[in-house]
Amino acid sequence: MKKYINVAFKNAGKTLKVSVAALMMLTVTVSCTEKELLEPTPITSLSDLQAFATPDRILAQVYGLYGSAKSGQLFGGRYLIYNEIRGENWLNVTSNGVTGLQTWNHTNNSSSNEPTNMWNAAYLAVNRANLFIEGLDKNPNVVDATTTSQYKAEARFLRALIYFSLVNTYAQPFNKDAGASLGVPLRLKGEVGSGNNNLKRSTVAEVYAQILDDLNFAEQNLPASYSSALLNTTRAHKNSAIALKTRIYLQMSRWSDVVTEANKIVSTTSPFKASTGVANALQANIASVFAAPYTTVESIFSFPMGDNDLPGTQNGLHSYYVPVTGIGDYSLNPAGVVGNPAFTATDARRTNFIKNDIAGDGGRIRLLKFPTGPVHKDFVPVIRYSEVLLNLAEAKARLAGTAVDASALALLNAVRGRSTTAYAAADIATGTALVSAILTERNIEFLGEGFRSIDLQRNLLALPAKPTVAAIPTTSPAYIWPIPQTEINVNKDCLPNP
Amino acid sequence: MKKRLLLTMLLVFSASIIFAQSKITGKVTMAENGSDLPGVSVSVKGTTRGTTSAGNGNYTINASPNETLVFTFVGFKPLSIKVGNRSVIDVQLESDVSELSEVVVMGYGSQSKKVITGAVTSVSGKEIATQPVQSFDQGLQGRVSGVNITTPNGVLNNAPVIRVRGTSSINQSSSPLIVIDGMPINSGDVSAGGYTVNNPLGDINPSDIESVEILKDASATAIYGSRAAAGVMLITTKKGKEGKAKLSYDTWVGATQTFRRFKMLDAQQFMDIKNEASRNAGLADQFFPSYNADGSLVNTNWYDYIYQTGYSQSHNLSLNGGNKDTKYSFSVGYTDQNGMLKKNTFSRMTGRMNVSHRLTDFITIGSNITYANSFNQAPNTGTTGAFSTGGLGRLPLVLAPNVSPYNADGSYNINRSANNLGLGKNLVGPGGYYNPLPDLELSKFTSENAHLIANIFADFKLYKGLVFRTSYGMDNTQIEDIQFSNPIHGEAGTTNGSAYNTYTNIKQWNWQNYLTYDFNVDKNSFTVVVGTEAQKFTINRWGAGRTGVSDPFFTSFQGSFVNNVVGSNYQSQNGLLSYFGRLNYDFDKKYLASFTLRSDGYSAYAVGNKWGSFPGASLGWRLSEEAFWKGSSISNTINELKLRGSWGRVGNTGVSDFASLSLFGSGLYGSTPTWAFAQAGNPNLRWEQSTKVDVGISYGLFKDRITGELNYYQNNITDLVLAEPQAPSRGVPNNSINTNVGSMVNKGVEFTLNALVLEKKNFTWNANLNISTNSNEVLALANNNADIIASTGGLESSNIVRVGYPVGSIFVIETRGVNPANGQRIFVNAKGEEVQYSHPGKWTYVKDGSTAPAITGSDRKVWGTGMPTFFGGFDNTFKYKQFDLGVFMQFSGGNYIYNGTKAGLRDQRAWNNHTEILNRWQKAGDVTNIPRLVFGDNVSNGSANPISENVEKGDFIRMRNISLGYTFKKGLLEKAKISSARLYAQVQNAFLITGYTGADPEISTNRGSNIAPGVDRNSTPQARTYTVGLSLNF
Repeated sequence: MKKYINVAFKNAGKTLKVSVAALMMLTVTVSCTEKELLEPTPITSLSDLQAFATPDRILAQVYGLYGSAKSGQLFGGRYLIYNEIRGENWLNVTSNGVTGLQTWNHTNNSSSNEPTNMWNAAYLAVNRANLFIEGLDKNPNVVDATTTSQYKAEARFLRALIYFSLVNTYAQPFNKDAGASLGVPLRLKGEVGSGNNNLKRSTVAEVYAQILDDLNFAEQNLPASYSSALLNTTRAHKNSAIALKTRIYLQMSRWSDVVTEANKIVSTTSPFKASTGVANALQANIASVFAAPYTTVESIFSFPMGDNDLPGTQNGLHSYYVPVTGIGDYSLNPAGVVGNPAFTATDARRTNFIKNDIAGDGGRIRLLKFPTGPVHKDFVPVIRYSEVLLNLAEAKARLAGTAVDASALALLNAVRGRSTTAYAAADIATGTALVSAILTERNIEFLGEGFRSIDLQRNLLALPAKPTVAAIPTTSPAYIWPIPQTEINVNKDCLPNP
Repeated sequence: MKKRLLLTMLLVFSASIIFAQSKITGKVTMAENGSDLPGVSVSVKGTTRGTTSAGNGNYTINASPNETLVFTFVGFKPLSIKVGNRSVIDVQLESDVSELSEVVVMGYGSQSKKVITGAVTSVSGKEIATQPVQSFDQGLQGRVSGVNITTPNGVLNNAPVIRVRGTSSINQSSSPLIVIDGMPINSGDVSAGGYTVNNPLGDINPSDIESVEILKDASATAIYGSRAAAGVMLITTKKGKEGKAKLSYDTWVGATQTFRRFKMLDAQQFMDIKNEASRNAGLADQFFPSYNADGSLVNTNWYDYIYQTGYSQSHNLSLNGGNKDTKYSFSVGYTDQNGMLKKNTFSRMTGRMNVSHRLTDFITIGSNITYANSFNQAPNTGTTGAFSTGGLGRLPLVLAPNVSPYNADGSYNINRSANNLGLGKNLVGPGGYYNPLPDLELSKFTSENAHLIANIFADFKLYKGLVFRTSYGMDNTQIEDIQFSNPIHGEAGTTNGSAYNTYTNIKQWNWQNYLTYDFNVDKNSFTVVVGTEAQKFTINRWGAGRTGVSDPFFTSFQGSFVNNVVGSNYQSQNGLLSYFGRLNYDFDKKYLASFTLRSDGYSAYAVGNKWGSFPGASLGWRLSEEAFWKGSSISNTINELKLRGSWGRVGNTGVSDFASLSLFGSGLYGSTPTWAFAQAGNPNLRWEQSTKVDVGISYGLFKDRITGELNYYQNNITDLVLAEPQAPSRGVPNNSINTNVGSMVNKGVEFTLNALVLEKKNFTWNANLNISTNSNEVLALANNNADIIASTGGLESSNIVRVGYPVGSIFVIETRGVNPANGQRIFVNAKGEEVQYSHPGKWTYVKDGSTAPAITGSDRKVWGTGMPTFFGGFDNTFKYKQFDLGVFMQFSGGNYIYNGTKAGLRDQRAWNNHTEILNRWQKAGDVTNIPRLVFGDNVSNGSANPISENVEKGDFIRMRNISLGYTFKKGLLEKAKISSARLYAQVQNAFLITGYTGADPEISTNRGSNIAPGVDRNSTPQARTYTVGLSLNF
């Protein structure tokens, strides 16, 4: 019996020893793994502390800013679509509530998705630009001073582009009252934590002043050119900032400023081209501008797409305009510019881009300017050289008053003449007729590129009627988009649009 | 064995010398079915003489006539029989059902039910094993007080919505923690998106489950600390029992169908109604008949092409046994189930091996291993997108009945360029709705799991009552999701076919080490548990998409495609490290107490906020054990009465893994890499906390013939993590920052009653009733209590979270029927004025016909709760001779349902309608609830904005399960070496009593959403299943 007890005791003692050892081991193991268990670092995201650690990451952030502006809700597709379908050139085919139906019908309210989503995308891009500019200041020695200035200039170029898209969409046109109306909140500082929600809307004039300030800085600090045609198209350089300024001044009807800026990049005589920086000029054949690789010198600034960087479902331009390979939500309105006699039958822009014989489509008129589907890899054009020429032509024509400015006509013809028969001097009798011809030419040249409602609004014109949709007069609340309710709810200083 | 035999013989021999005894022989059998009972201990009372019954139940023992034989066996009621002058004593032992419920599994241990002070409900695995369900959690429906389980729809293996004592969060999960054999496992849908739902709990074979314990109050759950706010479900799988190996085989076959389909307009009615609507809109007729080749009218019932009778089968084989050192339980299972929807299948193969072995007197080691291969297949049922234009819940309600699914040449009737169903002779169609057949026949959407759940453990007996356990477990799920959309038509009709394959690998390991010390000091009993737990969760998901199939010949991702795109890639991890302790104390099984403390460290929170403490405490008093009670006559009636109460605080970890950090995300600009600010983290984030108070009574009447509980609970949930909205112009990603700001409360009462209602010679009737109430109130929200509007499918906003109301209340515009004078729907605006609508776009005041502002979403008001306020189950088992009849009813109510489907069923676009549309208003004076039909009208019936016309009460009683079984008499089986056999037939969802007019009041279009419950929008209905089954024990 004693023996058994002894054995039991011995075994128990042994077991106890083993167990205590195990427990100790466990404690050691646990203290070792505590850090590993409780402080893992993300594998696929980068902590904000590391984002400015290397020159490569800073450069990747620059590209990230372009990528933000390229959101499908903004320049990746929808911003252009909205500007198109608010005009008269398009018919809605699919009645799909998520592809611009309310915008086309002018029935957006402050809770509607489209104004809300675009606002969100735009301000996200603005905040990223602001944070980036501040981050460069906080991390001064990672890249040199020149590069820092260049990156800041790119950020400010994009910020200007985005504020321009915001102020044109959510505020009254500058020309209504020289910018005295309420614009949009002007956020110029990086935002990260909670709070700081309240900020009143600056006036339209204040927003324009900021845009010009950003662009002037950009013009000073951007490089004259980059190392490749792709970069010259997809990153901002000096000429991009100048070209965008011509658009801003045109919007403000500051004609002589348009001329001053445009003259920096337009030669005095034909063939018109930029003599400094990137050699921006028209292409002989417009089709080449909209075909891969999309990087001709005519494309002063475009947003690129890639196999793995696409506009997203129901965002791509091709998706909206073309059936079968896209969804084809919108076809061309026969009563719109496509039916305008100035858009001749042999116009290269018609013969290349317009079709009405897609099988099963019931003879609808379709725009194939963005030909690539179902994977929508076409670059999104933002500034083309032809716009600069037409901006300059219009400014000159306006300055000349009732007289016909010959150089303005030459600029108009440079654009028109490459696609169809140019106007003879006899075709244009007055300065007014010249302006009118230029505006029509813009409608033809930029069809599908998101210029239409902007051009209508800067001229204080009603948004024209379409089949089943009445015209929207300048006095209508629907003339501009509502400030999103989500902003009004939280930003107590932000007034809604009436 | 030899030794034991020797000992027995020795005892018998020595005893026989002392007393004058005669030899007694006999046979021990089961009273239930007469099968032999080996291993029963037979002893002579008051002596050391004893034996055990042999394999055939026979025993031999020596006893004198004035002695008493005592038969005892685990799981059976002990039996004492005076020997008298008999030499053959055959006995039948009755199984002791209550014994199983005597011991209740707790976290990190178990406890006798009599002395438990927390709120715990046990469900025996038997209740679940034979049900035609995919996962055990579906089988718990209606069986547990305080636990409301909703099957969202009839799609196979759609995870049920489980709410233990109400909705416990707003943004995080409100589903309980699931623990299998002590190891917490991953739960929640694991499919990588797409159409197929995949509940990983479906990988656990319900037949393997011994019991499920649901921990409800803080005393019971505090040991799980930061993961326990939504309750805990403990699954215990079947373990080996000492004795001869027992083989059992269970099988069933079944057939599944829909029930309560809508009666839609047929072709002629459709054309009549839609043309009437067209004429009312000032349009010419637009809907015209098509004819079949034989000249008959095309009259398509789209249901017929989508629904089917699905056949299912299930087989389980298990082997169970052991000796005093080694115990084992093996099982293999196979089930193949076809749903009521075509191409909706679920199949599962499982293997389980539970083994424990006593290595020495001090060390026991063991392992519980289960592996499952489960396969889910579902077409686009609409389960993952209520408004999907390919959703099979929706298409039979929308598509025109006067259009054929096929062309005369047998090809699909489709419009290739518009990618929708061909119009037939109609001039307009419903829009982008697909012909469902190409996707059903040519596309394929599956989600397949390889799932290993395993743990190994070792128990070291360090000292009497002191045991150290170490247990390491892993829960590894590999999921392969396959989506192939055909190039002809439908989801990928515009991309010329697409294939998305995704592989997900979810791994979780868990290591527990704890000491348990049981000891008594006089009448004071103590059980102390202290331990640590570490757990790590990692998920890796990768995949790719391919579009533009190069030849229709290819039907899989591996074929040839024109474009390749990145798929859903994801990598994340989290870790948990814990220390815990518990003291259970009782004095003389009379005064009871339990104290728990758990300290958890969790990786998702910022340094400084990683650790939290979660205490729980409870007290109990068994009045019925007091001398004054036992001495009084009341004890004859109330033999058991326990008062108990608990308090504690537990947490909810459900924030994203790196929620506290500010992060940059990577992407591409064309083909150049980018970084961009992507998450504004909040370093102050903490657990959501649930402070639970619980008081209850447990009772037993008439010697436990009636038992039950009555509980009251209140859960105060604070620090709810809500997205605090930021002004969008700030440009903070997602326009919000997660913050601990919200609070809400759940209160309710639970009552259970289990009774042996009747007990006659050949007849018994057992009944179990449980009924629970729950009321929820939101107390605080972010941004000065700003409302949170919740939407269905991102389009229809019919739920709201508002302070002072239950979370996710129904939120609609009030309507007051149809104006008999003009047939226009009457709406009530925010000012309380009645306005009426004439399509298109004309709003007028009812009182004077003057123009009124249009009704908008801002005219909505809170209508009522979307969650049931009472629910429960009533289970009856009748036994007559060899027959048993089970009748299980489930009920629920007090809630409202937003029947959005009804808006679609009455929509006046070119959609089909329910036949109730025939009651439309036609002329002045008509009193009806269907307004005048005007083509294109999507406002009057609630498609544009949710209206109270479509809100209905959700009360129902469901005959959840009726089963009829026959247990074969023993004589018939003996030749086949079968010890018992039971044949049964059952109906799941036999019928439904409800006033609800939709497909089924038990519905959750938004599945597990906390903030949008009670919505029925284009959901597939529930299924009814008939099964016939057989259980054999060898």
